[in-house]
Amino acid sequence: MPHDNEMLVRASDLRKSYGEHEAVRGVDFEILRGEAFGFLGANGAGKSTTMRMIGCVSQPTEGTLEVFGRDPRTEGAAIRARLGVVPQDNTLDGMLTVFENLVVYAGYFGIRKREARAKAAELLDFVQLTARAKDQVNELSGGMQRRLAIARSLINDPDLVILDEPTTGLDPQARHLVWERLFQLKHRGVSILLTTHYMDEAEQLCDRLVVMDEGRVIAAGSPRELIDTHVTKEVVELRFGTAHTAELAELALTLKGVGAQIEPLPDKILVYTDDADDTAAALEAREIRPTSTLARRASLEDVFLRLTGRALVEDEA
Amino acid sequence: MTVTATTTVDRTAPSATVGAWRAFNLQLALYRHVWHGTAFTSMLLPILYMVSVGIGVGSYIDPASLGGLEYAAFIAPGLICSVAVMMLGNDMVFPVFGGYQDWGGAYLAQRATPLRPLDILNGHLAYAVLFRPLTNCTIVVIVLAFFGVYSSAWAALAIVAAVLTSAALAPWLHFWASSIKNDANLNMIFRFAVMPISLFSGVFFPADQMPGFLQPLVWISPLWHGTELARAATADVAPALPPLAHIAYLVLLAVAGWFAARRVIQRRLNF
Ligand SMILES: Nc1ncnc2c1ncn2[C@@H]1O[C@H](COP(=O)(O)OP(=O)(O)OP(=O)(O)O)[C@@H](O)[C@H]1O
Ligand SMILES: [Mg+2]
Repeated sequence: MPHDNEMLVRASDLRKSYGEHEAVRGVDFEILRGEAFGFLGANGAGKSTTMRMIGCVSQPTEGTLEVFGRDPRTEGAAIRARLGVVPQDNTLDGMLTVFENLVVYAGYFGIRKREARAKAAELLDFVQLTARAKDQVNELSGGMQRRLAIARSLINDPDLVILDEPTTGLDPQARHLVWERLFQLKHRGVSILLTTHYMDEAEQLCDRLVVMDEGRVIAAGSPRELIDTHVTKEVVELRFGTAHTAELAELALTLKGVGAQIEPLPDKILVYTDDADDTAAALEAREIRPTSTLARRASLEDVFLRLTGRALVEDEA
Repeated sequence: MTVTATTTVDRTAPSATVGAWRAFNLQLALYRHVWHGTAFTSMLLPILYMVSVGIGVGSYIDPASLGGLEYAAFIAPGLICSVAVMMLGNDMVFPVFGGYQDWGGAYLAQRATPLRPLDILNGHLAYAVLFRPLTNCTIVVIVLAFFGVYSSAWAALAIVAAVLTSAALAPWLHFWASSIKNDANLNMIFRFAVMPISLFSGVFFPADQMPGFLQPLVWISPLWHGTELARAATADVAPALPPLAHIAYLVLLAVAGWFAARRVIQRRLNF
């Protein structure tokens, strides 16, 4: 919900190469004040690389990038003074206490000791870590460390918070707590930029997002727009006992016409349809009887699948 | 989270001095967790050396072979500078290597803030080169005073010699630890830098007693130059070279090392 149209970040044809390897291959996007903007993509898509360029710790190889209307190449330090960053790896100081981590970090922004302490206490309260303030960071669980990293990123009242995979590796409960806090931030009007490979996270938190794949933006829009544009309203998942890849591909051929699109996967067939009941009826008419049938609303996961032919999060082991 | 208006955040790029000072404060926060341990070590170490080597070994040594100095008085200045080198082994090897690592790397955390790679380098060096000798070597100097090893009123200047020794060595250790990608190689720094420097620097016996082919090692060792200066301060003996020559060498090494370290940290913190 942008307050106005002030542009926080503008990238055009942004590229980054590491030697021969092109990690980001010409992406364009604009992030407005007050917005929660997401980068959705699989491992290695180039999300962190893009975040590092916006965070002014990595120089673009080509293209233009503006953050707060400034040039990261020449004004990196001043830009970083207005950013809050939660890196993919927390980079917390394990030897210091929870509280010290915040106060020391505040010092990097020139915040005075007294204010830093007050701010740190306030932020610990916000991420519900007040009780752990005096503990060494090494003793915290992964979810607590993540929350601390989020608190740390807010120490300078940033104009934009960049969160690189805020909930990866957290258990469902810890994820929900982080989501809830991010939601609060969003409602306070803090601009948020986050990367994720969880489509539910993107759907819940992002006003707009881009889908990245192999260094390119392959789709952009609000979660709703992306779903409306790229997939049908509903999806029916069909499983046929132990039938696998090749057999399913063959079975898929017999399904032509029961839905708008048929997508065979290694373990199931997806039927994209505007009406799941119609599809069920069509299957019945053809006397095709899957061992299990699940009808659900289409999600961003389906958008990703349709666009890349691959699942976003590959069977998480 | 609500009183956002009260926090005064500097939204501009800090000056180089301010940047280094902010980075230095991390080291200070870490030091607060270990200061009693290091202070204790700085007290105990000279006592142990004095009792075992200074007095024990010293009873076998004829002061005439040391230009009239008692053995304890001979080794005292070298000990002061050696402590500075030992501390660098703690401060400029693992913490530097770890600074870049994605498991908790302090440099990576600082890099996301207004601090620039150069601030990060200068802040860490300020701690290793100034703060540590000025605190811990001072303790050593005071403890040694109780053993009556000083024959000059200028003995406290040995601390300056320790600072110069640190300054000459610290940026090179930083450079080396920043260049290493595999922590298995970290021990090389101890094996090929910290250890030989501690041994071949005329701390425990006059450097000219070393076999001729090892003399060049002595001449390049910052600890030897530092020890010569420190001995001039504590025992009022003429150093091997004019004091200014020793100082010039140490300063030159420091400046060259700083440029080398700056190059590497800027490369490593720009992704
Ligand atoms: N410092 C680097 N040096 C060389 N290659 C790099 C570097 N950083 C990233 N890459 C490469 O760039 C590509 C994109 O990496 P990036 O970390 O941006 O992906 P990502 O979308 O964040 O993935 P993940 O979900 O796994 O975090 C990968 O192929 C990666 O190997
Ligand atoms: Mg990443």
